[in-house]
Amino acid sequence: MEQITIDFDKGTLILQNVPVEIQSQLPDIRWDERTLTYRAPAYRYRQIVTHLRAHHTPYNDSARQFTVKTFQSQKSLTPYPYQSEAIDAWHANNKRGVISLPTGAGKTFIAILLIEDTQRPTLVHVPTIDLMHQWYDVLKEHFGQEVGLYGGGHHELSDLTVTTYQSAVMHAPHYGNRFGFAIYDECHHLPGDQYQYVAISSIAPFRLGLSATPDRVDGKENRLYELVGECCYEAKVQDLSGDTLALYRVVTIAIDMEDTERIQYLDARKTYLDFLRKSNINMGTSMGWKNFLWKSSQSDEGRAAFKAYLTQKQLSFASKAKQGWVWKLIQRHRGDRIIIFTQDNDTAYDIGTRFFLPVLTHQTKQKERASFLNGFRDGSYSILVTSKALNEGVDVPEANVAIIVSGSGSVREHVQRLGRILRKKEGKQAVLYELISKQTGEHSVNKRRRQHNAYQRR
Amino acid sequence: MLTKDLLRYKIQKGQIYPQFVDPTNSELLKVAEQLITVFEAATDDKRSTLLENSKTIIDGTSESPIILRGLEKLLLDRTEFDTAPNEELIAFRNRLFTETSRILSQEHFQDYADYHQRVLALMGNDLELPETELHDYLYADLPSCQQILSFRRISPEHLLHRYNTAQVQGLLLHCNSLTLRLTDSMTAELRQLFKYLRFHQLLSNIRKEKTDTGDIFQITVDGPLNLFYKTKRYGMNLANFFVAVLHQQKWELTAEIQFRNKRASQLSIDDSCGIKPISQQFLAYIPEDIQHFQQMLQNKTDKWQIQPGSQFFPLPGDSYCFPDYQLIHSSGVEVAVELFHPWHQGHLLTRLNSLPNKTDIPLIIGVSKELEKNATIAEALETSSYFSHYGFTFRDVPTMGTLLPILNSIMCEG
Repeated sequence: MEQITIDFDKGTLILQNVPVEIQSQLPDIRWDERTLTYRAPAYRYRQIVTHLRAHHTPYNDSARQFTVKTFQSQKSLTPYPYQSEAIDAWHANNKRGVISLPTGAGKTFIAILLIEDTQRPTLVHVPTIDLMHQWYDVLKEHFGQEVGLYGGGHHELSDLTVTTYQSAVMHAPHYGNRFGFAIYDECHHLPGDQYQYVAISSIAPFRLGLSATPDRVDGKENRLYELVGECCYEAKVQDLSGDTLALYRVVTIAIDMEDTERIQYLDARKTYLDFLRKSNINMGTSMGWKNFLWKSSQSDEGRAAFKAYLTQKQLSFASKAKQGWVWKLIQRHRGDRIIIFTQDNDTAYDIGTRFFLPVLTHQTKQKERASFLNGFRDGSYSILVTSKALNEGVDVPEANVAIIVSGSGSVREHVQRLGRILRKKEGKQAVLYELISKQTGEHSVNKRRRQHNAYQRR
Repeated sequence: MLTKDLLRYKIQKGQIYPQFVDPTNSELLKVAEQLITVFEAATDDKRSTLLENSKTIIDGTSESPIILRGLEKLLLDRTEFDTAPNEELIAFRNRLFTETSRILSQEHFQDYADYHQRVLALMGNDLELPETELHDYLYADLPSCQQILSFRRISPEHLLHRYNTAQVQGLLLHCNSLTLRLTDSMTAELRQLFKYLRFHQLLSNIRKEKTDTGDIFQITVDGPLNLFYKTKRYGMNLANFFVAVLHQQKWELTAEIQFRNKRASQLSIDDSCGIKPISQQFLAYIPEDIQHFQQMLQNKTDKWQIQPGSQFFPLPGDSYCFPDYQLIHSSGVEVAVELFHPWHQGHLLTRLNSLPNKTDIPLIIGVSKELEKNATIAEALETSSYFSHYGFTFRDVPTMGTLLPILNSIMCEG
């Protein structure tokens, strides 16, 4: 009988000469009428090969295009006890699984130790270009060897490579057989409709997910655990605050709008709400927003309602009174390192322009992004304004004050923003200010996000 | 392509109907012409100026704003903006922010006005601008300020056809697979269709159906992972592939469209939708590889002529392939040639599996030497008796030295 062959084809495995008696035992293999071969999703590689080995079934493996590689950190690495526990838990889980730690607790450090342990070509997936460059610097610094970048205009693969999820969606079907270890940073992104195929199209037998908040509002974290491995270690913000993370407090400032703006706000809100009522649009349903967009484009009254919607939103996000508070807080925290967060780019640029401050958004070009972040880290700039670009992962340990001028109702976003100021430094006391416009929709949004455990102090 | 908010469709009884515009509608053609004129005249303007001018036209007509915003989006896709970094401005910001950071940390201000004045005094010598313009200048390199470098002209009628194409493409982004039904009468257009299919990394299943009016080929197009998941992973590939469908004379397309968290609905359109092809079709054009092949053939023999592949080739199991070339002997014997390049690994294994040991009308298989480096492929080639009879390998392009012996042996067998 001819030997079983396993090949990699566009994010899947092609299997040939599979004896009838074991076809049902191999996970997810199916006969493909289009190619007249057996086929399996690439991520089943480990289970298929493990099964064949366990049953002493000979096979010819052309799928796997990686071998053992030695990665030696050039730094002396001593993990905290909880980091050692996390590493042990991942090993005990057959070198798969998600480690959930708060921002600033050293998830990247754990990954470095596991790359050293695992000794396989490693592909690190990240959600943003800023994080891609940050990982690049860390890997280069620790291992002193060539590090590839894939995404943001880069197309270099090496034994240690960092890619964005977005780029990997496009290219994983081509290189999904070249890495034995896959790391998914901010892995709560992975179960997305498209991003999940990054993990499905890879044969990497060893997998690590890192996130402060792996749970998702849509409940798809189970998909994450299926593709990467279950959550094998978890520690919360309050477990580590004061010991590993900086001490912190959250201050909510409810702000009255100025009279003229309040009148303008109430007028605009009335116009907007009247139109919703008249047009029978329920914004609480999944079709609400689409209906509003459609109906408001059909008449002059609708267009006025849409304009009113934007006006009331803009006023609650960035009233003059809020700008006044931003100025007060900047003055109060002279000498501190402050990040100012906004919900949208327009507000970020309004604040940056008014106070002559650096603004970092997805529109900031790469060279200037690096210059802003480095300037903030080395103290040349003491304040950074951003919309969402710094929500995730980017390491700015010097930051000790966060001012949230506006944000979404997302708990994750809030915890991530808090995380930016939590990295421990000697004597550091972090403070997060939330500026909330009184008597606007922001009140209920704020109430929703305060349900997270980061607000439930010990 | 159009974003989802710019798609116009109706769903009735499980069917989804794209809302096409009439490409002969004189009112719409007039507005399209106005928009094109605005884009053409915008070279050297800022993006924000272009959008303001475009908005004036959109707001000033009775046509549906969603249609006009769709046309605007397609025109923006044809516009090149200057996205190079403004080094002078970046350097200025660096100097300004270093100063503001320093004074905010070290100095005390009575109020915001005091701070504002201090900044202007500090930067006064650096920048020769009235103070009111400093705010505008500070982030004057944002996308809204980008300058327009060029615009690729399009006729109003073509723009409306492009719009209708984009309506279908926008729906196909949300499908798992599509099914095409083509009559057997196609020739050169099919070659392009299959080139597109391979180029977009799609797989197909071809079946022939006999009907009273002739044979119909039913082609199901999807991607490798469709075997396991109802995935929209290949939506973009399928949307791009649709461009080639428009070049076919008689076609019917069906696809199941499913938006996120919504019930699936069926898209059914055919050539009667009247959308004109939006890409160039060079049917009279002889591709370079064919010209090269022809030249080589003429140098070696005058008995064979070569043509681009133009018809389906029957394979065992009621399936079909679409070869690259057709070689015609002076005696009338026709032989098909299918080439497999390094990116056709999966296709090659399929073909080797599906071909019998012997055949009456042979399909010659040419395999790139790059593919041979793969152990599975090398073994498959070595053990295939079909390949030993009707196969050859090539480095960059096929050569007559390897192909002619096979052709001669076929003629001897005949």
